[in-house]
Amino acid sequence: MDETPIDDQELRKLMTRYQGADPAAIEELVRRLSPQLLRYFAWSKTGRDDVEDLLQDCWIRIHRARHTYRSSEPVLPWIYAVARHTRLDAYRKRRRRESRESPLESVHEDRHGARLSSRPEGDEFGHLIAGLPETQREVLVMLKVLGMSLEEVARATSSTVGAVKQKAHRAYETLRRALGRVRENAR
Amino acid sequence: MPDNSRDDLERLLETWAAKPETQLRPDMERKLESGLGAQLLPVRPLPSQGGLALIFLAIFAACAAGLIAVLDKAGFHLMSGAQIAWMTAILTGGGILFSLALARRMAPGSRPLFPGWLILSSFGAAAGFALLFPWRASHDFISEGWPCAAMELAIAVPAIAVFWLVARRGALFASAGLGAVLTGLAAFLALAPLQFQCMFQQAPHLLVWHAGTAAVLIGLGAIAGGLRRLV
Repeated sequence: MDETPIDDQELRKLMTRYQGADPAAIEELVRRLSPQLLRYFAWSKTGRDDVEDLLQDCWIRIHRARHTYRSSEPVLPWIYAVARHTRLDAYRKRRRRESRESPLESVHEDRHGARLSSRPEGDEFGHLIAGLPETQREVLVMLKVLGMSLEEVARATSSTVGAVKQKAHRAYETLRRALGRVRENAR
Repeated sequence: MPDNSRDDLERLLETWAAKPETQLRPDMERKLESGLGAQLLPVRPLPSQGGLALIFLAIFAACAAGLIAVLDKAGFHLMSGAQIAWMTAILTGGGILFSLALARRMAPGSRPLFPGWLILSSFGAAAGFALLFPWRASHDFISEGWPCAAMELAIAVPAIAVFWLVARRGALFASAGLGAVLTGLAAFLALAPLQFQCMFQQAPHLLVWHAGTAAVLIGLGAIAGGLRRLV
């Protein structure tokens, strides 16, 4: 995985070249941004194939919407706003499909609706994070996993910095309480 | 919460965040690059947010002025100078705020306009009707009112289509907010000529048949925006 920190000024230049139909720019953007996008989709659960489908769908949307990017604006909020719509649409589609079909094997759900079957083996903390409400988990993923700033997360989620701070705070509080309970039970 | 517990949570979060969950397969990367590269054409970026807001405002002003000039001006003669000045300020303010809000919704990842301003401008219009006009209700409240509601719809619906024609180039992801802002701008555009045309300048009539219709339109716009997915 490419772990090079992504410089916004460089991304802006690449996006501008992409809008001008430079094939080298799209190759560079795919190479730089795909690992992070893949991580973003991976936290929104389901299997490997689904995550790659989401990534592919997301790049198609980025391609269709590329004229809406303005070089005066930061790139990551624009990219993740598109990625977020991709994820939400896929989630809605899956919900509709699941409401029509009866599952072959039972999927256990915790009180927040997170799939226990998709949790990594032995990863207790990941288990707790999977139990967070979707909006709080998304904010945590953007802040902690993707390393975005509060302002960038606010833009990507069409929200305000205050609302993002509040969601992060609630996620922290929920995790602290859950951690406390886990440790209490372990004694 | 003790500090060591806070540090502990931070440490767990950092470990969780650092964990590489998924690697991008090289064939997937090549597939994406070749797929996107094959359909690569130059595109013209959207104008700036200020430029877009000015486009919406120009449409708003031109349509409102044109309709006021064409329609009957009974309301204009019935209102006092203060009523005309306040209503002009409120309706123009609403047009400016909704134009700015729509422009900000045109590009993904833009900073949205604080929704409080839009709510404030909508309540400002309702408060203007309630405070500036007499509280007298006619016996023919319904028969006098529905033609105004029908006229508002007759202006607002084509206005929604006009604003949508401009907005659709950028507003690719429909949402309840986009629907509400789009119909809100069209509703303010319809309210302006209606205010100067209507011969029933009483608070109950204006609140129910003018502002009420606008509120219903905004609500329907929000629902339609929430249901429709565009890309």
